[in-house]
Amino acid sequence: MVTAIIATILTIAIIAAVALLVYMLVRRRSQGEFIKKSDVEHINTLNIGNDKSLRRRGPQGAHSHIRVNASEANMAKPSDKMSSRFGVFGIAISAVFGVLVAKAWSMQLLESERYASASENNLYTSMSIPASRGRIFDRNGVPLVKNRFIQTVLADSEVADDKRTVKRLSTVLGVPESVIAQRIKDESAGAQSKRTVASDVRLRDVAYISEHSDAFPGVSIEEIAEREYPYGALAAHALGYTRAATEEDVEEANDGRSIELTDVIGKSGLEYYYDDVLAGDKGTRRMMVDASGNIVCIVDEISSTQGSDIITTIDAHAQFVTDELLAQTVAPFGDIGTGKGVSACVVALDVTDGSVVVMSSYPTFDPSSLDDSNIWELYMKDESHAPFVNRAINGQYAPASTFKAFTSMAGLNYGYATYGSTWTCTGEWDGFGSGDVQRCWDNYGHGTLDLHDGIVNSCDVVFYEIAKAFFDHGPDGSGELSQTALQEYLSKFRFGETTGIDLAGEYSGLIPTPEWKAKQWRNVPSEAIWRGGDYSNMIIGQGDVLVTPLQLACAYGAIATGDIMRPHLLKEIHNSVGDVVFEAQPEVVASLDVDEDHLAYVRRALHDMIPAHEDLASHFVEYNLDAAAKSGTAEHTDKKDDAWFAAYAPFDDPKYVAVCIVEQGGGGSDIAGPIVAKVLGTLLGEQVEPGAGLGYINGSSGNSIAIEFTGNTRRQD
Amino acid sequence: MPLPEIDSMTSAQAAGAYNSNKKPPKFFQVVFWPLAVACILLVGYGLLICWSATDTDPKYSFMRQLLGVALGLVVMALMWAYDYRKLSDMYIVMLVVSVVLILSPHLPVIGVTRSGATSWINVGMQIQPGEFAKITIILFCAGVLSKYGGRLDDLGEYVKVIGLMLIPFVCIMTQPDLGTGLVYLFISATTLFMAGAKVRYMVLTLLVLVVGIVFIFVIDEFLKYTTEDGTTEYHLLKQYQRARLFVFMNQDNASSDAESYNLRQAMIAIGSGGLFGKGIGSSTQSSLGFLPEAPTDFIFCVLAEELGFVGVVFLLALYGCLIGFSIFIARRCSNLFGMLIVCGIVGMWLFQILENIGMCIGLMPITGIPLPFVSYGSSFMIVNFAALGLIGSVYSHASKVGKGI
Repeated sequence: MVTAIIATILTIAIIAAVALLVYMLVRRRSQGEFIKKSDVEHINTLNIGNDKSLRRRGPQGAHSHIRVNASEANMAKPSDKMSSRFGVFGIAISAVFGVLVAKAWSMQLLESERYASASENNLYTSMSIPASRGRIFDRNGVPLVKNRFIQTVLADSEVADDKRTVKRLSTVLGVPESVIAQRIKDESAGAQSKRTVASDVRLRDVAYISEHSDAFPGVSIEEIAEREYPYGALAAHALGYTRAATEEDVEEANDGRSIELTDVIGKSGLEYYYDDVLAGDKGTRRMMVDASGNIVCIVDEISSTQGSDIITTIDAHAQFVTDELLAQTVAPFGDIGTGKGVSACVVALDVTDGSVVVMSSYPTFDPSSLDDSNIWELYMKDESHAPFVNRAINGQYAPASTFKAFTSMAGLNYGYATYGSTWTCTGEWDGFGSGDVQRCWDNYGHGTLDLHDGIVNSCDVVFYEIAKAFFDHGPDGSGELSQTALQEYLSKFRFGETTGIDLAGEYSGLIPTPEWKAKQWRNVPSEAIWRGGDYSNMIIGQGDVLVTPLQLACAYGAIATGDIMRPHLLKEIHNSVGDVVFEAQPEVVASLDVDEDHLAYVRRALHDMIPAHEDLASHFVEYNLDAAAKSGTAEHTDKKDDAWFAAYAPFDDPKYVAVCIVEQGGGGSDIAGPIVAKVLGTLLGEQVEPGAGLGYINGSSGNSIAIEFTGNTRRQD
Repeated sequence: MPLPEIDSMTSAQAAGAYNSNKKPPKFFQVVFWPLAVACILLVGYGLLICWSATDTDPKYSFMRQLLGVALGLVVMALMWAYDYRKLSDMYIVMLVVSVVLILSPHLPVIGVTRSGATSWINVGMQIQPGEFAKITIILFCAGVLSKYGGRLDDLGEYVKVIGLMLIPFVCIMTQPDLGTGLVYLFISATTLFMAGAKVRYMVLTLLVLVVGIVFIFVIDEFLKYTTEDGTTEYHLLKQYQRARLFVFMNQDNASSDAESYNLRQAMIAIGSGGLFGKGIGSSTQSSLGFLPEAPTDFIFCVLAEELGFVGVVFLLALYGCLIGFSIFIARRCSNLFGMLIVCGIVGMWLFQILENIGMCIGLMPITGIPLPFVSYGSSFMIVNFAALGLIGSVYSHASKVGKGI
């Protein structure tokens, strides 16, 4: 910059200096010549130049002389006197042309490349072509998520203030002006991103807007691949949903994945977990643009590669039956509270390989309805009971009596229960002598019974006694055991840790320990002490114990097979040309390190549990199931009981395990049992044609009616 | 479209002028052929570039430019036929006409103000009378200075002449139009120098001018005020004029404002032309709108981009011929008045070429001065033809043939 100015100044200075020099030289020479000129001419010029009287008369006087001069001395030209000035003039002219040519030469020949690339930068712009996302199928190839290409009218946020454009859009699209203005102001897709004015627009209207783009400043039309969900909310929590990327998404994008604000990315479920697989590779389009950014022509194009398809382990038929069943159970008339409970969840696994065949959670959402901002508002309210929460992995509940299958084995393991032990249940128990009487669910008492019958009848007193044995042998008693001996045994079934399913944000549940309790109650020292009651609560799956339905399903699967499997939803990945590029292999997380005899004993007890309960048994008979099961009813002081049921079948050659919880649903056998029977029955029953009999699952209404709670009714396990 | 008044007016006069010539001179002898050929090539070349620049932009009409050339030819013929020597006494009339022309946009009904300058009048078509005043100012300067017979060495007379010459400049600054004002000043300076004004006086005038400019800046600092929207505005040199000046002074600084954007795009257009250019009609900088005002102020960029360095040299060569042959005519002219007319015209062209091309290549500050015979705009096209007509008149009426008229 400074050099440019200096160069310019120097050039001007040199030109001026040369001009002056030449002028001096020429003048000196012409003065010399002047005297040699002929007398006539000499006098003439002197007359004009030096006659003071003439000059005093002013220009008019001088003028008359010129005339005379011109006509008399034709050959004496006025320019002769000025030859030196003509010389200077000529040099100045040459200098001007010289400078212009020199600068043009330097720009067009020396620096031409730099300017040419600047010109190209002006001219060309590249745009990435979004790749359409891969599809998602069930285990039999039934499409659960597809793509649909729609014409969408987008507008910059400023367009909302442009009344004329809004009016024109309204006329063309047939949507009221106020609605258009409201859609443009909607920031739900991000403050910076373009706002959707109308999607799925008729091609005729698209053509009209494209052809009259001058009349629609800030409005653009894009073909957008929209996710299509043929069965609505079917398996919505497992599949997840997609949204336009936000600024945070762009910043936090993984290495090797470039996310732009206009991209649609997975936000939950498999869509989120396998986003990289589904996203595909973007193409690029190089275009020539004019100064206003309008595309003049497309120079070249590298087309995008469609994302890979995902084959999930979900069985669409069973999933559909389950989703519908849960909706029927919780909200048969649309709103929560018109049926049983406030929410429900079913997880069913293939125990042989850990694949998740059913993952159903209610209330649920329809992923195709999420463009409507009202839905978000509705689902964020408490009374909607959180439809976005996947209760299979993010619902943590007290497992209640379903836990007895594991705690009974702990008792057998430490010898506090043997095949021959018997206990007498009177309906109430105060083994610790604290005066705080704990009750069996059957307040009239079960009489004398052994461990097998204790499991079959789910007698709490039997388990209180076992808990007391743990306490008595612990540090507060004989000191043979540590305070965490029971917890350590339970950890063989991997409670208190995540299962490792291929979904993000899974919860780990909780197995309370003295350490945990001390930390939890650090501000209330009186409560922070590990007591006998903590054992007796834990052993019946109450108190502070928390599990997710998926954890419980995995643990019951382990009882069935002896192996803890890693649950998974991904079965295969097919690339865009249809080749299988990945196939999930069964993964044994751990083999159960328990006594085989004890395991067989508990299995037998679980198997005998169903026939012992007549109403429950009828449901299993209906589906011709030979299952092993355990019910559970988690008690709350301030709301209705949670109904639990866990079962696997067939008993001899286990194939599927299913777990159900109906939150605030009531008794486990009554409410959750029939659901599990139907799920297992569907899975093991007659195989239907893939895709046959499937229907549309609706998202939940978002409304609820408060459930009546009239104190602790008599629990029925 | 109704025929513009200016059209019918000049045609009528043309007819009258030809009728009054009882003995028309032989055509081949009144024309100085080298100049004529150079002009024909220049006008053709200019029209080609103008066509290329206006072709993609519906805002401009090439037919209008052709109309300007046609009107220009008529005006040129009139001027050519007219004996310029009859005008030598009429310098006061010329001054008055100039002032009237320059001030006419201030008239209530016909005056037009566009982008802050009251420079146009609307008489059926929009014309810029300030452009036409260039001709009358040339005649005025030549008329005044020829009275001194080639020696202006009395300080009193010199100051008087300078005072008269400043009148049109002061008038044009009321529009305001600094660019055209500078053309007036350059015409005055050229004729002053060629009329034999004492060099010492002229140097002194230059010094006074420099001091005056510095003084304007200093005074402005005291007079500046803050406008309603919070920006500082000056009284004497407006913000946009300052901006142009400052952009010129640091042209390489990446700056996003409009003035430096224009300059950057202009330089990109020229530089990317290379040796042979991108071809006629293939410019990307102007046809895709990166270069603003391409057919008018920045038409040189269109030429340089489409035809490259070769095209630029060809244009400058044609200008060189135009100016060179004009000077030849001035040199052989038998009276001072005619010589000064030609010198004034050469001064006008030279300054316009220097300023217009200079601003495109970043040597001069940006002003809206058109490129002779090339830029879009019929007013200036007519002025150029009128100037050619005057040169022709000087040539033919000084030659043996011309003497007979």
